[in-house]
Amino acid sequence: MNCRIVPSICSYCGTGCGVLFLVVDGRLMGTLPMKTHPVNEGKLCIKGWNLHEYVNSFIRLKSPLLKKDGRFRKCTWEEAIGFTADRLRSIVREHGPDSVGVLVSAKMSNEENYLAQKFARVVIGTNNVDHCARL
Amino acid sequence: MHDDVKNQVKEMLNQDVVDLFLAYRMMDGHPLPFAFSRENIEEVEDLVTGPARYPLEKLALEILKIHPEATLGILARECDQRALNVLSTWNQLEAGRVKTIRLSCCPSNLKEHSDCSYLEPHVSGSCKTELGFEFGAKTEDLEALAPERRFSRWMYEFEKCIKCYGCRNICPVCFCRECSLEHPDLIGTGPLPPEVPLFHLVRAVHMAGRCIDCGLCEDACPAEIPLRLLYGKVNEIVKEVFGYETGTSPGQSPFQVLGTEMMPEPL
Repeated sequence: MNCRIVPSICSYCGTGCGVLFLVVDGRLMGTLPMKTHPVNEGKLCIKGWNLHEYVNSFIRLKSPLLKKDGRFRKCTWEEAIGFTADRLRSIVREHGPDSVGVLVSAKMSNEENYLAQKFARVVIGTNNVDHCARL
Repeated sequence: MHDDVKNQVKEMLNQDVVDLFLAYRMMDGHPLPFAFSRENIEEVEDLVTGPARYPLEKLALEILKIHPEATLGILARECDQRALNVLSTWNQLEAGRVKTIRLSCCPSNLKEHSDCSYLEPHVSGSCKTELGFEFGAKTEDLEALAPERRFSRWMYEFEKCIKCYGCRNICPVCFCRECSLEHPDLIGTGPLPPEVPLFHLVRAVHMAGRCIDCGLCEDACPAEIPLRLLYGKVNEIVKEVFGYETGTSPGQSPFQVLGTEMMPEPL
């Protein structure tokens, strides 16, 4: 019997509330607010309270999907990234770099957001970068 | 005092009295709930008793749903003990499944600290003081107010509700599989703002003879609604009318709305 209570940060929005996950035998069983966390001081919204439900949801996507003949089909990461890169490259070639915008997310880490804007500016060549937490 | 507790926990684990012991441990500067085990007995050295409070008995119930054969130990403050009494009264806990090391948490001049985050001072802002109830208000303070004034202050407090269900989720004695606050024919999930004061009064009625006055709901409320005050009043009535003291009186409360056949169901 393995039981751990794992501190983490809520992944729903940019506020960054401290949460605790109850993990029993490797399975996420519940979420609690972290009482001493400076951001939320032991309080959570309804989304934060239900973090464990989306992790365990049976409709959660576990592999990339690619639309072929009007239907989504499971594919490998190589296929998905390859297809996206090819399409982005052809759009940039045809319509110019400013035809692409990069929208990043509060659910990602600071470092991932940094990489995303670097990708937009250096790889694609556009300043069209925005973030959902730019309130 | 900590050394005493640590030695007792080690003894319970080493002598196979319990499989896991739930208490608190400092992690990254935060006192967090932690399950101590025989395999990692050296971690018991980092055990702390406070000051943060979590519903350890609720965590124990979750673990027992997966491992019904396990025996768990809990560091039990007085509120944890009352919660455990209520849970076993309502057949949610098999006798002997949970062993406790009791901890006195009441404040006293003879003690360096008291192990309860609820006792930390909490300052009410001017709006709350003007329109609602100050933190730590007592039922006597409320009853001194004229009924209309009291009602408008309660409505001010209830209208702040964001329907996060935090009060129910953190409650150590909320164990029903089906909850009136979620049932589509009763309150139902979804629409915001919640219907006030119905949402809170439904929960208050269900807390009659069940609430053990731990204050975790009030701690967890993002809108800082004085829930402990509300449920405290409900239980005052239960005590006055039925002579039943929740958490200490033996047997189930006079409100056996759930029947006597309630048993924990596997997930």
